[in-house]
This record gives sequence, structure tokens and C-alpha cells, in this order.
Amino acid sequence: MLSADEALSREVQRGMTREDLLRRAAALGIVVVGGGSLGPLTEAALARTQIKRGGTFRIGIAGGGTTDFIDGQNIVNEPDIVRNVITFEGLAYFDEQYKPRIDGLAEEFVAEKPTQYLIRIRDGIEFHNGKTLTADDVVYSITRFTKAKLGLFGTAAFGAVDPKRIRKLDGRTVRLFLKRPDATLIDAFCQYFNGMVPEGYSPTSGRGKGPLRFVGTGAFKVKEFVPGRRSVHVRNENYWREGQPYFDEVQIINFADETARVNALLSGQILAAGDVPFAQVNLIRRRKGLRIYEAPSAAWDPLTMRVDQAPFTDVRVRQAFRLLANRPQMVAQGISGHGRVANDIFSPFDLCYAGDEFPQRKYDPERARALLKAAGREGLTIDLQTTAADSGMVEVAQIFAQNAKAGGVTVNVKVLDGATFYGDQYLKWTFATDFWGTRNYLAQCALATLPTATYNETHFNNARYNALYRQALGIVDRKKRCALIKEMQRIEYDQGGLIIPWFKNQVSAYSAKIGGFKIDVGTLDLNKYGNNFRTIYFV
Amino acid sequence: MSSEGLGQAPGLLVEGLGPGLPVPTVEPRARRARLLRGIPRFVIRRILLGLVTLFIASLVIFAATQALPSDPARAILGRSATPESVAELREQLGLNKSVVEQYMDWLGGVLTGDLGNSLAAGVPVTEILGQRVVNSLFLMLLAASISVPLGIFIGAVTARRRDGPLDHTVSTVTLATAALPEFVVAIALVVVFSTTVWHVFPGVTLIDPGVGPWNYPKELVLPTLTLVIAVTPYVTRIMRASMVEILESDYVEMARLKGLSERLVLWRHAVPNGIAPTFQVIAINLAYLAGGIVVVEAVFNYPGIGAAFVDAVRSRDMAVVQALALLIAALYVVLNLLADLATILVSPRLRTSLK
Repeated sequence: MLSADEALSREVQRGMTREDLLRRAAALGIVVVGGGSLGPLTEAALARTQIKRGGTFRIGIAGGGTTDFIDGQNIVNEPDIVRNVITFEGLAYFDEQYKPRIDGLAEEFVAEKPTQYLIRIRDGIEFHNGKTLTADDVVYSITRFTKAKLGLFGTAAFGAVDPKRIRKLDGRTVRLFLKRPDATLIDAFCQYFNGMVPEGYSPTSGRGKGPLRFVGTGAFKVKEFVPGRRSVHVRNENYWREGQPYFDEVQIINFADETARVNALLSGQILAAGDVPFAQVNLIRRRKGLRIYEAPSAAWDPLTMRVDQAPFTDVRVRQAFRLLANRPQMVAQGISGHGRVANDIFSPFDLCYAGDEFPQRKYDPERARALLKAAGREGLTIDLQTTAADSGMVEVAQIFAQNAKAGGVTVNVKVLDGATFYGDQYLKWTFATDFWGTRNYLAQCALATLPTATYNETHFNNARYNALYRQALGIVDRKKRCALIKEMQRIEYDQGGLIIPWFKNQVSAYSAKIGGFKIDVGTLDLNKYGNNFRTIYFV
Repeated sequence: MSSEGLGQAPGLLVEGLGPGLPVPTVEPRARRARLLRGIPRFVIRRILLGLVTLFIASLVIFAATQALPSDPARAILGRSATPESVAELREQLGLNKSVVEQYMDWLGGVLTGDLGNSLAAGVPVTEILGQRVVNSLFLMLLAASISVPLGIFIGAVTARRRDGPLDHTVSTVTLATAALPEFVVAIALVVVFSTTVWHVFPGVTLIDPGVGPWNYPKELVLPTLTLVIAVTPYVTRIMRASMVEILESDYVEMARLKGLSERLVLWRHAVPNGIAPTFQVIAINLAYLAGGIVVVEAVFNYPGIGAAFVDAVRSRDMAVVQALALLIAALYVVLNLLADLATILVSPRLRTSLK
């Protein structure tokens, strides 16, 4: 019998279904310039969509510094992300609707059993140093993911993979054995930061000067890299996707200051800026020759309450705090309306999402007051730690402090610098903020709401919830799995420690000289940076 | 006319009358010998004092970096600062040593000419800062070489035409620009010349790494102009004040009575004596430029020490913070020394007191 995972894998292998095609055609209606991911474009199609080959594309990215690195399997800040995806590629990718597709380095990714996966890579893909990508490289890459000591960003998602049984079957085929069933494994391989690296690759935790450190299979090769300033990437002439990429050169430029980045865009010195400040959107929109890219995403910035620490040990206090968030006001003021109200449940693009089936939580200081009184916590005073790590993160805290007054709660907002926020107290704050991108539900649980999760800031540990999670990972029938996942969401909705005010839009800006961006609901800006810079071009 | 040397004519004419007049009349040879003994001794003493200052500064800076919450390992890892990765990185960076040990390591390095490795980037500090220091110094010197002569010129001219329309206009403008923070000036210049009104100069400085900023004259215009606008008013105002006093002195009156042209009186006789007080202001402003340049560099994304400094503090990169703070402190010491030296050389009373 065909398992659901198998069915899913077969489905993604075939590429697009008819339904997908229709959906995508609808999506094309709202995209800026069409074309791109329907496969390699013919020269005739190129002419029709006015694609010009060549040119140097400059993109400005905020943040970063001397700690910047290029690592195919690790990221810390946004410049690291951009340089990772332009250089390296993964086995599979999420499409524009955040559905997994086997359209990366793998041509086959099949669950032979719930605990056994088969991966076959495409033939004849070359690394930047001319070496062919083989099963040995895949074994080496996946083994690296499983090594907690390396501190790689994606490691937690590979917890089920048995590192001792990653077997090479032939030159292009690898079989993985899992320690326990894990239906989310495909999600892990679709994450943009989990790239395939050549055997022997070792950038020593990302900061060193290891051998092969810039060698990936991506559409561009690293030509020059000055951390904190700029990197230059040149077209990979041996790239495996026919006709791509279009640019001759891409420059990724760091900007320490947001205003400088917008000025560079306005004066034409850069042609795109990922993630622009919401306050600047109207200024850019009014400008001839510049366009705003805005995509709904599942990015969320929660307030995190530690359920194992007073006053949040009492579920009524948590419920009261959730009622003290005026979400429409938060969306309007915290992110200037660039998003939509959320309901304390993450992963709205998951097929099993139930956040919109539960009653929408509304601002209700009266009920909050009553709950606090019942818990014996009237007139509570509490510190709320935050840092400007992501847009809206400081604002959401400040608006909450304002909102909470009506419930008799005094919230002292402490805006800390990044190093302090992520210092000794990180993941231990009683009440703090955080930020997350788009993920499917179970994959997100593994990072945020399970006792084993790396970033369980709320210290949420609910026996029933944990059991449901383990059960869901092993269930192959999607409908049955959804029933379990919905029960998990119900538990979180009633008892969880997260206040999720919004799902935020991705807002970026680019020059009208550039085409090929499609609206993409995933985590990365600008249509996954133009699908790793290979589907965007000068028009 | 041309035979009248700089400052000599008034000295001969009105000996002992004007403030700070050059009066080398008796035993010039012996006086000069004493002078040579006095000034080098002064310089050496000041350099030694400067070194003590720098040592104290390094202690304070080190203590300050230690007082900052968090540590480099956590700062570098940011959100991925899980206990395992922090422990691993702390080990790699040698942060498990005692504070005293870390300071002694650093001091030992500096004394032998090694500024150490950047904790964040793992490469020598000089590799990270070399180019940036050159870029910042270049911008600073460029701005100074324009604003200092400009300030002296405007100050002298307005003093000469005291209370005229020109003086009033300049006085108002300099007061206003001195009150504006330089980032406001910078943003205004960008709006006017780069993004909104005209598109004549680039709004940010995108310089190829490894290439000197002097190869990008267009990119330098707005940052330089910002600094010139920030510094010139101070030089202008102090020059004007000092010149007003000088122009009322007896020896200037005497020069006029002697029948010298007004231009000659101003530029030959008055300015050389009026300039002394401006040296101190210029030094303070140049030193200020070294620190204040941080803001201007941020607005223009200029690849100087500013961004590196902010970044180093943010990532608790002690080696880089120390190197930069020490550099700026050294600049202060040197500039003050030069200013004092210049003041002494143009003020005979001070010069002769150095025996």
C-alpha cells in the first residue's frame, strides 16, 4: 500500500499537478512579471517576457558585520542567509505556496517506510570546483546536519535521522534510516539553510577558513567576500538548470543603517532591498522606477510567557494576558498594517491549521481583570524583555504594555541590545519577545513548543501535547494526522504560553529594471531572493 | 614692502605693547639655544604623559568591555546561542581565561606591536581595520583641509567687517549650522543632492574593498561636505572673536598709521597673531571628527571605522573595540600636543617661558 508520505513524495516527484498549475496561473495574475519556475525558459519565451541576459545586480541587505560568513549549512543573520542561498542548494524546496517540491538537487525523495527514506540525486551536477555531486557528498552533508556539536542552525530538525545508518546505495542513491517515524523530514530538506556541501567541507562552525568553504552547486560562485561589507558572486557557467541564471554578477552589500539602504535604493545605487522598514514603504511606493514587493507570509512575532515560572504557572494568568493584547491595534501600529491578526496558533499555511476554527481572541480587559482576580494576581507588575531583532518586535512589546494598563497590569518594557537579550538569560526570560518565519506545524513544534525543542522559550511541557506530537509523526494518513495536530493546537490555544498577535507580510523593494519576482508566502524575502538569484533578470 | 618679514615689523615698531608680540631682540643666538632645549623637553614630557594617558584609557576601556552584559560568544551566535554552541565557541575564543589574564595577553600583544585577533572574525585586527582606518583618516583630513582654511578666512574677513551685513549673515548661519547635529545635515544633503531634489551625487559610498576612497571623488562629496559644515562654524567663530580683539590693538593701529594697505594689515600683521587661539579649537574639532565621524559614516554607509566600531561593540569584540578606542585616544593626545606646540611657537610669551 502506498503511504501518505509516499503519495506525497510521488506527487512532488511528478512535479506539478493540474490543480497546482491552475493555482499557479492564478498566482501569476498578481505577480509583477511572469515566467520563471515553470521550467527553463526557451529563448522565444525569454524574448516575450523581455528578459535581458547579463548585467550586475546589486542588492542591499541590512545588518551583519565582521561576524558574517558563507556556510552552506549554517546561518546567523540575514546577510548569511542571502550568501548561503546564492552559493549552495538543497535537495528540495518549498514552492511559492509553501508546499514541498522535489525540484532541487534530488530527483527522488521517497518514504519507503515511515522510518526509511530513499534519496536519489540528479545526474551530472557539478560543484563550483568542477567535482561532480555524488552520493558520498550527500552522506557527508546529512551526517553534518546530525552533529549537534557543530551548532548548525538546522540540526534540531534532523533528530530522527540515525547518523550511523546513512547508507550510500550507489553513486547517486542514499538511504536514510530513522530512529522514529518523522513525517516532517521533507520539511527539513526543503529548508533553504540545509544545503548540500562537498565531502570534506569544513568551515569550522562557520567562522573559520576551512577547505572548500565556498564550494556549492548554486547558480553563482563566490568571487570575493569581505565580511560586513560586500560579497561578489559570478555566474556559474556549468549550472545545471538550462538557461539560468540570467545575471552575470550579483553583489550583496551590507548596510549597517536602514536609512542609508533606502537612500541607496532611491539614488539607484542598489537595485533591490530585502525587508524594508514599514515606515519607508509609502516613500518608495510613490517613487517612479521602484516597486514594493509585498507577500503575505506566516512570519510571527510572539510574546513568550514562561509557563513554569510565576506568575505564568497559573493558566488563568496566561489566558488573561492573551486577552490583554489588542491585536488589530498591534497590526495597525506595530507593523503599519502590513499583516493580519493571528489567534495564538502558528503555521497558518499548514494543511492542518486550525487557528481560524477557534474563536478569534479579542481585546477584553474586563475578562482579563476577572481572570487575574481569580488567580489572585490583580495589579500585577512584570518586566517584558525585547530587542530590535526583527521589525515590530519592540513595538509589539510597547503596545502590549499600553494595552495591559486597562487590565490593571503594569508591564515594564526593557529594550535590550542584541548581545544582552541573547546573553545568559536567553531562553530563560520570564516574559519576552521572539520572531519566527514560515514553517509547518510539526516542524515548528520541534523548535519551539516541545521539551526537546532548541528554542522552547515558554518552557511549555504538556504530556498530552508531547504524546500527540510523537503519534502524529508516525501517522501516515494525512486526515488522521490532521486530527491529532488539531488537538495539539487546541491544547496550545487553551493553555499555551505564546501570545501571537500577527502574521506579518514580507515587504521588500526593488527597481522596475528587474523582473521575475513572484509572490511567495515562504520565509525568505523577495521570492526566496529570486529563487537563489536564478529566476530574476533585467527587463 | 616684501622685505618686512612675518610679524617682524610690528615687533620692531611697538615693542612690548601688543598682546603676545614677537620680540627677539637681545641675544638671538643664545635665546634660540635655550628654545631648542625647552621645546624638545616639552614634547618628550608630553609624549610620556600621553603614553600614561593611553595606558589608563586602555584599562578603562577594558573594564568597560568587561562590564557590558553578555559575552562575545553569545553576541556572535545571536539567536543560535544554545548552551552547547556557546560552550563550544567560548572554548574556541579563549574566553574561559580569567579577566586579568585576558588583559595581560592583550597588553603584551600591544607592546610588541600585535593588536591581536578579532574575536568575531578570527582574523588579525589590523586586517579588519587597516583599510577602514585609512578611509576614515582620509575623509577626516579632506574635511579638515577644507574647513580649517575656510573657517580662518571667513573669520578674518567678518572680523574686519564687523557689524556689517556680511558679518551678521555669517554669524547667523554659523550659529544655526553649529546647532544642527551632523546627521541632520547629512540627511538634508542626501535629500537635496542625491535622492529627492537633484540626483547629482550618490547618496551612499559604495567603495570596492581594497580600493582607496580617493578613487571615488563623486562619492566623497556629500560626506566631506557634511563634515565641513559641522566643523567650519566653530573655526569661523573663534577666529572672528580673536581677530576682533587683535584688530583693535595698538600695533594694528600703528601698522595702519604707517600707511600699510588694509589687506596687508589684516593678512600680514593681524592674522598671524589672531590664529593662535584657533589651534586649540581646530585640534578639538579634529579630535571630535575622529569620534563624530561614526554618525556620518553610518548615514553614508562609508566603510570607515565608524561601522566597525559599532559592530565591534555589538558583538563584544574586545580586541577591535580596544584597538579603535586606543587609536582615537592616541589621536586626541597627538592633536592636543600639536595644538599646544603650534600655540607655543606662535606665542612668544609662552615660547620664552619654556626654559
